[in-house]
Amino acid sequence: MAATKTAKEQKYDRQLRLWGDHGQEELENAHVCLINSTASGTEILKNLVLPGIGAFTIVDGHKVSGEDNRAQAATELLQELNTDVSGNFVEESPDKLLDNDPEFFHRFTLVIGVQLPESTCLRLGSVLWNANVPFLVCRTYGLVGYMRLVVKEHTVIESHPDNALEDLRLDQPFAELKSHIQSYDLEGMGKKDHGHTPWIIIVAKYLEKWFSEHNFQLPKNYKEKEAFKQLIRQGILKNEKGTPEVEENFEEAIKNVNTALNPTKISNGVDDLFNGEQCNDITSQTPAFWVMTRAVREFVQNDGGGNLPVRGSIPDMIADSEKFINLQNVYREKAMQDASVVSKHVESLLQSVGKPSESISEQDIKLFCKNAAFLRVVRCRSLAEEYSVETVNKDAITCSMDGADGEMVLYLMLRSVDRFYQQHSRYPGVYNYQVEEDISKLKLCVNSLLQEYGLNVSVKDDYIHEFCRYGAAEPHTVASFLGGSAAQEAIKLITRQFVPFNNTFVYNAMSQTTATFQL
Amino acid sequence: MVQLVGSLRKELADSLSACRVLVVGAGGIGCELLKNLVLTGFKNIEVIDLDTIDVSNLNRQFLFQKKHVGKSKAQVAKESVLQFCPTANITAYHDSIMNPEYNVEFFRNFMLVMNALDNRAARNHVNRMCLAADIPLIESGTAGYLGQVTVIKKGLTECYECQPKPTQKTFPGCTIRNTPSEPIHCIVWAKYLFNQLFGEEDADQEVSPDTADPELTWNPADTEARATASDQDGDIKRVSTKDWARSTGYDTVKLFNKDCLSESLFKDDIQYLLTMDKLWKKRKAPLPLDWLEIQKLGKILEVTGTGLKDQQVLGVAGYSQLFSRSVETLRSMLADKGDGAELVWDKDDPPAMDFVTAAANLRMHIFSMNMKSRFDIKSMAGNIIPAIATTNAVIAGLIVLEALKILSGDVEQCRTIFLNKQPNPRKKLLVPCALDPPSANCYVCASKPEVTVKLNVHKTLVLALQDKILKEKFGMVAPDVQIEDGKGTILISSEEGETEANNSKFLSDFGIRHGSRLQVDDFLQDYTLLVNVIHCEDLEKDVEFEVVGDAPDKAPTPPSAQEDKNVANGNKDSAEPSTSSKAPAEQDDVLIVDSDEEEPSSSTMDVRMESGGHKRKLHDAETGEASAKRQRLDQPLAADEEDDDIIALD
Repeated sequence: MAATKTAKEQKYDRQLRLWGDHGQEELENAHVCLINSTASGTEILKNLVLPGIGAFTIVDGHKVSGEDNRAQAATELLQELNTDVSGNFVEESPDKLLDNDPEFFHRFTLVIGVQLPESTCLRLGSVLWNANVPFLVCRTYGLVGYMRLVVKEHTVIESHPDNALEDLRLDQPFAELKSHIQSYDLEGMGKKDHGHTPWIIIVAKYLEKWFSEHNFQLPKNYKEKEAFKQLIRQGILKNEKGTPEVEENFEEAIKNVNTALNPTKISNGVDDLFNGEQCNDITSQTPAFWVMTRAVREFVQNDGGGNLPVRGSIPDMIADSEKFINLQNVYREKAMQDASVVSKHVESLLQSVGKPSESISEQDIKLFCKNAAFLRVVRCRSLAEEYSVETVNKDAITCSMDGADGEMVLYLMLRSVDRFYQQHSRYPGVYNYQVEEDISKLKLCVNSLLQEYGLNVSVKDDYIHEFCRYGAAEPHTVASFLGGSAAQEAIKLITRQFVPFNNTFVYNAMSQTTATFQL
Repeated sequence: MVQLVGSLRKELADSLSACRVLVVGAGGIGCELLKNLVLTGFKNIEVIDLDTIDVSNLNRQFLFQKKHVGKSKAQVAKESVLQFCPTANITAYHDSIMNPEYNVEFFRNFMLVMNALDNRAARNHVNRMCLAADIPLIESGTAGYLGQVTVIKKGLTECYECQPKPTQKTFPGCTIRNTPSEPIHCIVWAKYLFNQLFGEEDADQEVSPDTADPELTWNPADTEARATASDQDGDIKRVSTKDWARSTGYDTVKLFNKDCLSESLFKDDIQYLLTMDKLWKKRKAPLPLDWLEIQKLGKILEVTGTGLKDQQVLGVAGYSQLFSRSVETLRSMLADKGDGAELVWDKDDPPAMDFVTAAANLRMHIFSMNMKSRFDIKSMAGNIIPAIATTNAVIAGLIVLEALKILSGDVEQCRTIFLNKQPNPRKKLLVPCALDPPSANCYVCASKPEVTVKLNVHKTLVLALQDKILKEKFGMVAPDVQIEDGKGTILISSEEGETEANNSKFLSDFGIRHGSRLQVDDFLQDYTLLVNVIHCEDLEKDVEFEVVGDAPDKAPTPPSAQEDKNVANGNKDSAEPSTSSKAPAEQDDVLIVDSDEEEPSSSTMDVRMESGGHKRKLHDAETGEASAKRQRLDQPLAADEEDDDIIALD
């Protein structure tokens, strides 16, 4: 039993604490494609190989020091870091693969493109967009780091929100909770039991009292909440002399009044998902996430009285074990019941589109119900939309250029050096003797970019000099930063936990600042 | 390197290859840092780490592989780096940076020192050494998704100790022995119990009921009398566990007769505690376990929680079985080691972890707390900080960029940088803040450091002054103390054998009274501190001394639903260096507040760190950079790495 811990659990102990065993399982099932094993590329992959992704494939047509193929060399070395990972490589340029076998890229969980020329990036972007394969574009350019996430739709069940409120239903107790509350008689119980009654029961009891005196309205404003707290305070036992005893559970109840009395309701975010078209039109192609969302919607409308399935967890509190566990079981069992109703809806939805009911597991449905209040969907714009003159997000660019020294100017410079590359088949400043003449050439590129997109912003000459000075170098320490950040996003995408950025991330290594934009 | 000249000025590139730097720590950050340094062009690097490689390092410390487990981190890191950068000139030390060999002269060999540490004691020490040698220091730490980098330069910036750090949470002995109120108290008790039975004897780790509990002193004679009476009855035990073990003549059969041991711990001791009725007037009294009864029930296992085995909560019967089994296993392990052997508690050693899980849970049950899974207990008992490759890679990247600024002579351009879990509401993943000037009142880097300490001169032993105040609180390694009484009386000498006789005397025995001044020197740290004594008779219960002007420790707030998911910072920091499982200095009294999540699939999986009782929401700290900084600086740097003994979290 507990003593037998697999070597894997031991090795991954420190990260299981962040994303759990099911997150680890997703990682181990993932096959990641890296294009270009440069400093940044190998940094990213290193940070994915160490935590144990299932497999990677490096696509790289470059050579290192003479004859050695870079893809092969990197694969062999990365493989050494973790024998659980299967490493593969293709000695070919991505352009060639796109020419001959674009479907090659369809097989991956995620494609990470590093240091790609603009044309390759756009071509690959469109292939992956159509195949619904997430694409993470990464780039280290001198003292600038850049990432762009391109994913049509990324659904997240476990978004790990900060400051989530508990789901206690005290304003609308379900039948089982009601009768459990009934089973307590605060007036009639002994001192020991009184001092060990969970605060949830205490609040619920006094809420019943409050309801009867206030026309079934929750205490809403500060004044009413204070009055309600006072009501609870009066319930603290008194000794023979009439002074109140110390009852920590009552103190806990009073402290929790504010959050515990939040009305149970469905957030706008989740409501939007319910009203989305993916939720309306269920077909045999509909992903499990949307089938479950629809099933929960059915539950809300037909079974839940307008509420989501009960989450089934309660916070730790002062209570004796027995009372706590009994209360916990009330919530837990209700959550299980609700999940099984949702499961019935899932089953009939699947049936209606001719799919076997096993195609979505009970466990997945339970997890989904538990997180129903926190569902998130990230939809990025495509690269085509970002690059097209018609659909460019001019507002985002112009607004962010207010300061002139923000990270947006770095984005425009990256676009400009790409333009330079298109015209000259090399990046500016790569050769020291050309730096001077490249400055004026790059300036032309900046201007033509701004003009083409009708951007009424100005870029300081300093940036043009600085980007020429970079000579498209990939300093390792910047690559290390980017490798960490990009791998972190990749892990979010693969585990489907936490919410990835949307959609552009820029890092300025000179000022140690970062920014995200929706472009 | 050709490319690098593109983004680095030639003079800078040249100075990189000529300068000598010191990396303190070769763990999570250290591995990434060494790689970044050599790939940026640093050539002369010295690295020191006392730790050895553990399996749980392999998910991030990429310079190590399975075959290296058990070997010196510094040495293997050096060898691995040389494989991809054979021209680097690396010196590795498998040693503690606090060893006196690494004196101020040693530190002066370097242009720059970079900390990649995991504990506060070593950070304090390196801070002082760098101040004494006037060498710039880059300090860093990570915990889960969070990280931080800062630069310390004598006279120009705050030093590591300018801002008082919350003191480590320690628990009064009587809370552990008599009145546990949180799971962590039971876990600490279980770890003490382990050491009492199988490990090194430590008088500070007593587990039996404490009759000297100050809460009882209203009538000690009464309690004593009752205790004596019950002793005579023979049915209630009040001797210490160790004494009891000794009384059996260390007869292993008797000592490890499971039922006998368990009866003693979970029934008799609790019954004895119940006789101290003063303790239970305002508390819920514990319920003794009827061990034999439970053994009968033993076959029925209650299990709650789903997921991995480790994340399940077994019932009382389950834990009693686990307890018996683990005692049996540990007993035979001890026997196999031969006479006089000791076991060292290690969270990664399954029987040791089982023992603590079982003993802590049984005690939690007795004291009406909700039991915890093995996974949770491991986090709390092992003070584990989650740690991943990505965060360390990011932080190590930032460190080298700060290093480049320092080497270019632009210390003014350096920043304290905080790494967030995700972009904050202002869409910033990184929050850089300008460095603050040194604090004039800092008791470390001020030109004439001075502190005022409140204590009772009649009750404070010279040994306590040395160990608890000067070493633990003020971070000295080998203090010398002279009384400014006009005669220059030497109270404590760091030379062995000179002043040991003073240890067991009270300060007042040497004429120290209200207003006395002590000059304290630590020659290794080249550090002199003037201590002003304020005599005080009404310190709080269990408080031996108080530093005037220190932020008072706030009472820990019970974890609430909201706070749970947030991170405070770095309990990682302990008063003692963290150690590998092999090192003897187990840090037991440094602890954490419990987290109450049940399974990691819930939202509470996020990192939660704790700083000395106050939890703080980092996310709140990000609304403005200035305020962000103030708020966050209160929190000590966390550290990746080996967690081993110091921290919490889920």
